This record gives sequence, structure tokens and C-alpha cells, in this order.
Amino acid sequence: MTALRAVHLQRRPRVRPWQLVAVPVASIAAGLAVGAVFLTLTGHDPTMVYPAMLSAAFTTWFGFTDTLASATPLIGTGLAAAVAFRFGLYNIGAEGQLYAGAIAASGVALALGEAVPAPAAVTALLLAGVAGGMLWIAVPAAARAWLGTSEIITTLLLNYVALYWMRYLIFGSTSFWRDPTSTNFPQGKPIPASAELAELGLTRVHLGLGVAVLAAVLVTLVLNRTRLGFHLRVYGDSEAAASYAGINVRRLVLAVLLASGALAGLAGAGEIGGRAHALDPQGLALGLGYAGIIVAALARYNPLAVVLVAVLLGGVRNAGTALQSLPGGRVPIAISTMLEGAILLFTLGGELFIRYRLRFGRGQGAATAEDLESMPVASPAEPTTR
Amino acid sequence: MNDSAIVLTLAAAVAAGTPLALAALGELLTERAGVLNLGVEGMMLLGAVTAFLVGDATADPWLGLVTGMLTGGALAAVHAFLSVTMRANQIVAGLALVIFGTGLSTFLGQPVEGRPLTARITTAAVPVLADIPVAGRILFQQDLVVYATWALVLAATFYLTRTRAGLSLRAVGESPATADAMGVRVAATRYAHTIAGGLLAGAGGAYLILARVPSWSQAATTNGVGWIALALVVFSSWRPLRLLAGAYLFGAALRANFALQAAGVRGIPAEVLALLPYLLTIAVMIGLSFSDLRRRAGAPAALGLPYVRDER
Repeated sequence: MTALRAVHLQRRPRVRPWQLVAVPVASIAAGLAVGAVFLTLTGHDPTMVYPAMLSAAFTTWFGFTDTLASATPLIGTGLAAAVAFRFGLYNIGAEGQLYAGAIAASGVALALGEAVPAPAAVTALLLAGVAGGMLWIAVPAAARAWLGTSEIITTLLLNYVALYWMRYLIFGSTSFWRDPTSTNFPQGKPIPASAELAELGLTRVHLGLGVAVLAAVLVTLVLNRTRLGFHLRVYGDSEAAASYAGINVRRLVLAVLLASGALAGLAGAGEIGGRAHALDPQGLALGLGYAGIIVAALARYNPLAVVLVAVLLGGVRNAGTALQSLPGGRVPIAISTMLEGAILLFTLGGELFIRYRLRFGRGQGAATAEDLESMPVASPAEPTTR
Repeated sequence: MNDSAIVLTLAAAVAAGTPLALAALGELLTERAGVLNLGVEGMMLLGAVTAFLVGDATADPWLGLVTGMLTGGALAAVHAFLSVTMRANQIVAGLALVIFGTGLSTFLGQPVEGRPLTARITTAAVPVLADIPVAGRILFQQDLVVYATWALVLAATFYLTRTRAGLSLRAVGESPATADAMGVRVAATRYAHTIAGGLLAGAGGAYLILARVPSWSQAATTNGVGWIALALVVFSSWRPLRLLAGAYLFGAALRANFALQAAGVRGIPAEVLALLPYLLTIAVMIGLSFSDLRRRAGAPAALGLPYVRDER
């Protein structure tokens, strides 16, 4: 069929490990190149901006610790996207679930007050975040499991609902969350010190980082070492096969989406307990949930790789903020978001080179005997209709 | 009567529904070709900011509109390349478009953030028809883009049901392998309709800034309209006329604050009014799924699936 074409594609039965590194690295380089074009067009010098970003993000101690702090919520939202996308369930509501987790966590911390000792207060804060995130995805998850309603649009639209709700609690009302002493500019009421997550020395790195890494390890163990994980992998490969094997697909869908919401909610609780120490709509609405999707895609939905990629993107975000104080021509902070988007676009394009081999000249589509000897590796879920 | 609250609210619903109708009509064409482009919000934002920049520099709103369409189309071309040629996951590619479009539009719009736009698309009442009581005020005292949207919807209906090219398009969306065997160029059809979808999404975004929103603000210009447009396509069962009716219905929901004030309701916080359209859309999406018949109705069978001739 492809005899007339000079180049054709052949599906690789096996993914080579070096490609898993080379393709993301090339994607990042290409994303930076696109960013350089727009920087130049808007009158900024990329050879000044990029080195400044690098030092702000990675090569100084305070820069690097700030990067780790920025990466902490991204690990949570990255895991939230990874566990769902991996199985073809597209929860793009991590943003809203993070807000809901933050609202629940700050509410519980405020309600408990100073009387509760630190370990119990911190545990309550984190669990409240998990519950808040699960609650926020409960309706889309149930609708998907029982009615087959596409979770894509429902989870996304709830982001706006959560955002307006959070703004209402602080700016639009004299709610329990609002600091009654803040009259000029409404602010969240500070949570008691006992519920704050411990910080590492003088840096902004907090216990939330440890919790996030632990969550990544836990997700890996559940996916690779448990019965549930096995059922999920069967479901991810073929929903029909899972049904025929007697696996309760509805419960599986519900479990995946609830876990995804829980991880995003946990990220929200971490931001309250570790960074803001109060419900702050401005500081939370940074697109952390959307960035989690990029983290997950770059990590190819692998929970442990999510941690590394989150640090990388945390650096890009941290650098965007640091550029605001750069002397001479201010670079818009949106450079970070733009770079993130460009990197993701190139990653998706690069995915082709991981899954397919380019063959030049005439050829047949069949794999060679050598290819067939090796076992296929799990690949992220193929696109599905809604 | 002509200036009663209900008539003014309905007129506002038609105006508010127009950017939705444009973007959703574009997505309808894209999806009919079997390509799912979730990047509507990103294409609208980029269309809006470039329309603002050009409209502001040239003082010509129509030049702004054309620019917005072209940048929306350019972003859609990226999606077409990723989904058709590179066979990427269309859902993630669409999300990438939203993130990139949001970032790029914020980046480009930062110097003009909050600046009001003086070059605007203004009302052009239709002679004679505008004088009809009630209906004239609601439908014919609008601007040219509103009238153009009706023409586009009718043209799309005709195209899909009465032309050979429209039939080929539907074949590509339903069964690309069959279309391929018939001699229809699957990839070219998908590229063309994905880009057409981007042109219309760009037009919707440009219209928002040129006629509806007084000044550019990344956070407040589209505000999720692109996502509501995606829901609207499902709501319409992929039919243009139903889509237009739905757009005005959602337009009315977006102007819910108008309607409630008109009805004399007071004391509902602004934030609660603002989140109503999103809740309504979610309720509609879930409501549609209750009927199994409706859920499947009209969805192109090959939606979201890359077509690979080798692997057939």
C-alpha cells in the first residue's frame, strides 16, 4: 500500500530505553527554540533570558530549593493526571480538585484550632485535602461509570465552579475562611501553626515534598504489585477483555477517577499547609492542575518519572517568577506557560518516534522476526472516542 | 415593549451566543472529519489577543477579525499535524493547544492587559426588518458577525447534507477506511476541516474582544467559552441548526445575571451567578447521557481515532 511513498512508518513492537530519554530531551530543546523565536519577536534576547532562567531555577542553592517547592504541587497534579490518563480516563479537572482540596484542608485546619497537637493536625489537613479532591470529582466519576458521560468536559467545567467558589469564600462573602481583620484587601484566615507542614531550614521546601514523593511510590506499588493494579492494566489494554474476565469495570473507573481527584486534592492541602498557610485564591490559581497534565505526558504516565519531570517544570515556573525581578526589559511571566505548552506539543509529536520506526524506500508494514521476539511494553492508553 | 427587560435579555443572549456558535460550528466540522480538537479555548484566546493587537494598531476591527481567524487556523494546523500526520493522542494534543494558546496569548497580551479597545464591531441594524416589533429588536439590531453566523450555519447544513464534498467529509468521520477505498483523500479532508474549525474558533475569540468584552484580559476574555462550545457540539448531535439554537440557549445562561435582575431577583452573589453556566452545562451533559439513544446520536464513529492505512 505504501509502495509509492518515500517514507513510511512501522510500529515498533518494543520501546528502546534510550528513546525514552532522547525524545523528551529533544522536545524540551525544540520547545525552548520556539520560545526563543517569540522572545526575539517581542524584543527580548533569548541568550540573556535562558541563562538567567537556568540560574534562577537550578544552579543556585536557593533557586534550586525554590524549584523543589514549586515542584511539590506539580508532583501531586502530575500523579493525578498520570493515574487517570494511563487508563484512558481523562480527568482534566485536577485544577478544580486542587482548589477543593485546599478549601477542605484549610477549613478543617481552622476548625480544629490550636488545641490539636501538630502530628494530628497535619494528618487531618492532608486527609481533608484528599477528601475534598475526591468529593469534587465524585459526580463526574459516577456519571462516567454509570452513564458513560464523557469525563473530559464535566471535570474541566468544574474547575471554573471551584475557582468561583473559592473566590466567593474570600472576596465575595464574610465566610469562615476569610480573615475578619483583613478589611482593605480580603485575605484567608491563617491556619493554626500546629497544622503547618514543617519546612527544611530557611528554604521554602516543606514536608509536602516528602508526602508527594511517598504518594508517587505508593501509586507505583499499587499499579505494579497489587491485584487492583493488575485489573487496571488489563482494563487499560482492553476494556472488553476486562469485562469478559469478570472484572467490575464500573468500580475500576470509579476507583481510578477518585484516586486521581484525591491526588490533586492532596496537592491543594500541601499548598495550604506548606506554602500559603491560608486559603489564598490568587496564589493557588496558577494552572497547577493543567501543568500536571504536561508533567504526566512528559513522564509518559509513569508515576516515578512524574517526580523528576515535576522538578524540571517546577524550575521553568520558578524561573518565570524570578525573571520578573531581572534588570532591564521585563519578560512576561507567561513565558513559563508558553514554554510548557510548546514542550508538550513537541513531546506529543516525538511520541511518534517512540512508537514507530521510520523506514525509507519501499517496504512492507510487517515487523521482523527479531522485533517479534521481544515482548511489547505497556504504552499509554490509545485515544478513544468520547 | 421593545425595551422591556425580557426583550433586551433575549437580544443579549443572541449576542452572547454568537462567539459560542462560531467556535462550536468550527468544532462540529472538525469532529465530522473524525478529529477531536479540545483546543478550542486556546484557539479562541489566541484569536482574541491577535485580533486585539491588530485592531488596536490599525483601528480596523475587521482586519482584527481576519487576523484572529488566521492565528486560530494556524494553531489548528498544529493540531492537524499532530493528530493526522504524527498520530498523537488527540485528547492530550488538544489540551496542549489550550495550554500553549493560553500561555502565548498571555505573553503577547501582557503589554496591553486591561487596555480598552476603541476599534469595535458596531451594531448594523437591518433596514425594514429591524422595525418589526420584538423580533426586530432581538434579531435584527445586531452586528454583521451575528448575521454572518446565520449564513454560515445554513451553509454548513447545506454542505453536510447536499454536497458531494460534505458527503465525503461524513464518510471520513464515520469510516475512514471506506472513504479511503472510495478515493477520498482522508488526510487532506481531516487537515482542511481541522483548520476550518480553527478559523471559526479564532473568529469566535476575535468577536469576543471586538464586540463583547471591552478590554483584553487573559483571565476574563474567554472564561471557558471554548469548553462550553465543546459541550454544545455534543448537545447538538453534530447538527448545525440545533447547534445555533443551543448556542443562544447557552448565551442566555451566560447572561443569567441580566435575566435574574430583570426578574427582580436581588442579593445573589456575583460569583454564584458566574458559575451557573458551567453547572448548567454539566447538568446538560449528564442529562443527555440518561437517554442511551441520545448519547450515541450523531457522534462520528471514527471520532478521535487516527487513521493508519498500513495497519488496517
